[in-house]
Amino acid sequence: MIWRGLWERRWQSLLVLVVAVVPVAAAAYGPLRRDQAETAIVRDVLAAAPVEGRGWHYSTKTDPALKAVAGFARDFTDPPVTGMEIVSPRIGERRSYPVVWQDGQCAHVTILEGRCPAAPREVLAEEGSALEVGEPVRLALLLAAVPGTGEIGPAPLTVVGRYRANQADPFWFGRPLAGNSSRAGPLLTVRETRTATVVAGTQDSWSDYAIVSVNRARVRGSDLPGLSALHGVVTAAGRAAGSATLGRFADTLDVMNRQVGALGVPLALVVAQLAALGWLLLFQTVADLVRARGPEITLARLRGQSRLQVWRFCLAEPLAVLAVALAAGTALAWLAAARSGPVALSAAAVGAGAATVFGGLAAAVLAARGMAWRPVTEQWRRVPRRAARGWVLDTVVLVVAGVGLVELLAGGIITEPSGRDVAALAAPGLLALAAALLAARLLPPLARTAFAATRRGGGLAGFLAVRQVARGAATAGSVIVVAATVGVAVFAGLAWTVASANYREVARAHTGAASVIDVAPGDIARFRRAVEAADPSGRAAAPVVRVPGNPAMLAADPARLAHVAYGYPAPAGALSAPVVPRVWVQGDRLRVTAVHERPPDSWTARVFGVFATPGTVQPAQIPLGPLRPGTGGDYEWNLPGACRDAPCELRGFRSEVLMDGDAGLDRTALDYTITRLDVRRDGRWSEVEAALSTPGAWTGGGSATERGLVFPIDPVAAPLARPATFPERLPALVNGPVDGGMRLPGLDDAYAAGFEQKAAYAVLPGLDQVGALVDLDLADRVAYGEADQATFEVWVAAGEAGRIAAALERENLAVSGIRHAADLERRFTTQGPGAALTLLLTAAVAAAALALGRAVLALYTAARARGYELAALDAAGVKPGALRLALMLEQVLVLGAGTCAGLAAGVVAARLALPRIPQFADQPVTPPLAYPLDPVPVVVVGSAALLGSLLLAAVLSEVLLRGVTVERLRETAG
Amino acid sequence: MTAAVRCAGVVRIYRAGELEVVALRDVDLVVERGETVALLGPSGAGKTTLLWMLAGLLRPSAGRLWLDGTDLAGLDQRRLDRLRAGHIGVVLQNPSRNLIPYATPAQNVAFAQRGVRRDRRRIAELLDRVGLGGVTTRVGRLSGGEQQRVAVAVALANRPRLLLADEPTSQLDAATGQAVIDLIGSAAAEEGTTAVVVTHDHAVSGALGRTVTIRDGRVGAEGRGGEDFVVVGRDGGLLLPPEFHELLPPGSRARIVPIPQGVALHRADEDA
Repeated sequence: MIWRGLWERRWQSLLVLVVAVVPVAAAAYGPLRRDQAETAIVRDVLAAAPVEGRGWHYSTKTDPALKAVAGFARDFTDPPVTGMEIVSPRIGERRSYPVVWQDGQCAHVTILEGRCPAAPREVLAEEGSALEVGEPVRLALLLAAVPGTGEIGPAPLTVVGRYRANQADPFWFGRPLAGNSSRAGPLLTVRETRTATVVAGTQDSWSDYAIVSVNRARVRGSDLPGLSALHGVVTAAGRAAGSATLGRFADTLDVMNRQVGALGVPLALVVAQLAALGWLLLFQTVADLVRARGPEITLARLRGQSRLQVWRFCLAEPLAVLAVALAAGTALAWLAAARSGPVALSAAAVGAGAATVFGGLAAAVLAARGMAWRPVTEQWRRVPRRAARGWVLDTVVLVVAGVGLVELLAGGIITEPSGRDVAALAAPGLLALAAALLAARLLPPLARTAFAATRRGGGLAGFLAVRQVARGAATAGSVIVVAATVGVAVFAGLAWTVASANYREVARAHTGAASVIDVAPGDIARFRRAVEAADPSGRAAAPVVRVPGNPAMLAADPARLAHVAYGYPAPAGALSAPVVPRVWVQGDRLRVTAVHERPPDSWTARVFGVFATPGTVQPAQIPLGPLRPGTGGDYEWNLPGACRDAPCELRGFRSEVLMDGDAGLDRTALDYTITRLDVRRDGRWSEVEAALSTPGAWTGGGSATERGLVFPIDPVAAPLARPATFPERLPALVNGPVDGGMRLPGLDDAYAAGFEQKAAYAVLPGLDQVGALVDLDLADRVAYGEADQATFEVWVAAGEAGRIAAALERENLAVSGIRHAADLERRFTTQGPGAALTLLLTAAVAAAALALGRAVLALYTAARARGYELAALDAAGVKPGALRLALMLEQVLVLGAGTCAGLAAGVVAARLALPRIPQFADQPVTPPLAYPLDPVPVVVVGSAALLGSLLLAAVLSEVLLRGVTVERLRETAG
Repeated sequence: MTAAVRCAGVVRIYRAGELEVVALRDVDLVVERGETVALLGPSGAGKTTLLWMLAGLLRPSAGRLWLDGTDLAGLDQRRLDRLRAGHIGVVLQNPSRNLIPYATPAQNVAFAQRGVRRDRRRIAELLDRVGLGGVTTRVGRLSGGEQQRVAVAVALANRPRLLLADEPTSQLDAATGQAVIDLIGSAAAEEGTTAVVVTHDHAVSGALGRTVTIRDGRVGAEGRGGEDFVVVGRDGGLLLPPEFHELLPPGSRARIVPIPQGVALHRADEDA
């Protein structure tokens, strides 16, 4: 009979079902989406982490079998990659060479020449190591028997090939693959080299290691505790065995925990508000459903059924509808969530849905209680008694809303030091509810004040409408529901537009351009040439080098940047400075022709040539020999070895004076003039064009004169005399409080570069922290090389990423990844606050639509209950047009009041709460967020609500009038 | 033998805001078991109020009311419900009010048995008796007369000792109304059910064993065998039937003249 009853009241049952399904779906969607968002966060953080932050590098010298590694296996980890290594200096060279075997290594390198090692003591050399195929390499630590002698000597390792490897390949777990002045790139060998050699001494030995990486495709948000536990296990295992656990997974874990932590609270608050809205709607609608069964319940009581039977009868239908709604809503939420990715139904999701249904259940119980307890004869009263609405609940809500508002504005205990707190997300719900209650209270007296006007106006329709509205109790529920839901919907719309605009701006500012191609670091000149070749137009790509620090530094080609960067603010030439050409030398020996005063006998004075050499970030300097007692002549010295094969830049001259005791202190300085510079290359001397006599071409401690470069040799101060290839202070654009006395890290991370603030802007493209933007060419002139932490990026205009990336590859510039501003913008929406606002928007708009529908239906039901009265008016000669207009006006007044109160509450809530609601998991330092309220959501929600209510009111008025006949009056009193 | 219904000085006062409306005042009434009684009287006289009190739906403001010797004042709501479930059947004025419109006649009768033991044979027998055996149409689609016959079947579902009916024929045509009266009569005759029927319909009152006329909340008259008698109230008061108001208009004075059979009322003219 339950189903027959539901079918009998099918439209009302359907409304209850829909009204229940939507909040259930919204509430259940929250936890499901949170699970997904947590998974997305974990995976995104893993993807963004440096390769050494994606797992652990467990290294040991005491456990060659790596027994501990078996305990590191988890569902979310890849099979461990094992390996071994030893680092040894090479005989006759200061650099050390890592000899490495890593399981599967040859699949992760590009063989440029030769082959992979296959036999003991064969090695594959890194392309930058300058080792040739077939060349023997003897390392100090690896010994082997010298054939035919019976003696032990350095084992000759044979280079069987040369390789290039991608530093970004997770397989290498961040191992430095490119060599530098102190350490060469790894020599890859086979495992058997270990047994074919002997390690010299007892201090050193081979290290065995295992790389355990987290599998990004398998790891889920729910694995976060497991990740933390595994991190503890790996670290503890390393400590216990006296081994080392390398990697930066602790940092990755920190970021994951912080972002996941930021996700929970806003989602919970939004779900709580949606559940509250759902309760409100369900409460009203389910109560209507129970009341609609009043005659049947009365019959049950008339037939003497017990209280239990009556209760069961009362609750059967609502419970059936709510049970179906719970199942359908949860399924709907699961389907919606499944569109965004794999998702498993969780207890939390079902619990949230069930909690939402609780509102309906409470309404059913309360309404059933009323039906079960009130006198049976009340049901047969022609005009049902109406109990006056109490003030207790209203007062409690208003007080809570008021206190919350004061706290919000005053920055009280609920507020973080930052002035933002996710608790502010509760503000719209509270404000909307408070406004709704006030509107419901104010509307009847306002309608009463209109009595006189409608009487004077002579129109019966207006009088009947305001009279009915003034009765109050009949319309209060509708006003409350409409105002509360419209208020939250307006707030959600405004919050979403504001947050979306900020997501877009922040994503653009942090990415810098539509797309950013990450490329392998290398020589700046080669980098720039590759970009120019990839984009000859100069309008689609710009080379950028990013150096982290405080302040951070971006070095870019300003002309290209102006075409591709989002919001590049500076005029052309703002970052340029007058400079002279750089002085390049290539060869094996430098000769300086100098004229100088005779140095005191007690002085031993030397002049040093300072060079920037390729492949290093340190200046290289060569002594030009002690100053001879005469007054000048030629001074020669070998150039740094790197200058033989590649040009080195002459960065200046400096002097050094050693004194014999206190003698010579009376002499403060003597002039040293370089008149000519020559470089020997392939046995031939050639003059170096160094503008020695061009005024202004040299700076620092020296100056170019007609006689040549003059600088003092001073025992106290010996500043570098350098070519004026870069200004003393780099012109820079800054985006925050950057003190002019601070230094920029520079490309070599030496913090040698001062800067001149040309302009300060709120936003600079590509900077997510306080920093400066400088000219890449000038930055390159200042630096002695490129630090490891400098990252090389090519910023690309919209739609050009694929083409430019391919062109860069053709220029032998390895592309390690492409980032898009749009992806970052999307990622912001999946973070905690973004996901919460998305959920709030969709569910609040749906709730508002349902509330309107419910309100119209409630008005319809109320008007139907007055059918006797309407029939009497009809019989008394009131024209149908006046009755129709009265019914329409009544509904428009109620719905309009609710909508207007909701609009006002939504706008006020947005104005007050939005600046205090975090929109990002990590609040960005720059750019500053903006909170302009977009009128579009207000207009859209308001118009939709008013138009929808007008339309529904017109239709229902017509339906109602058709049911009003004088036949209704024939029912006689008992 | 204990009377089926006994009212002693029953008073019922309704409160409407600040106003108090006395619906029944000092009603004394005895209905014997198996007796069929028609409650007559003008609208607003208190007939329905008395009926609801007999059904245990309202409690007297004063006075006592016994059903089968049980004082209703001594029963809590649970016992009252049980009494109604087991011993009382009620037929309301509007046929649709008696029934669950989306249920079949059999389901409606079964619904009325929820408070007692389910008796399927009784359901079939009752529906046969009202001529609706085998009808599986939902009652909302039956005619008014059919609905009221189902309503009587529903009221008889629990084999009530007391059948209360409020204007059971008011919305029926004469033939259908007669069928309903016959049903009530046959229930009283065959099952010894006491029936109290509120009606304005002379056909109904004529078919029942006794009439009780309620006026201004009092029992004003009783009729037996086609003859009406005024009833002397417990305060000695008489309610003069309206047809005598021309001879003794309300507000006029009368002289009581003792005669061997009782007293006679004579208008006390000024000149007399």
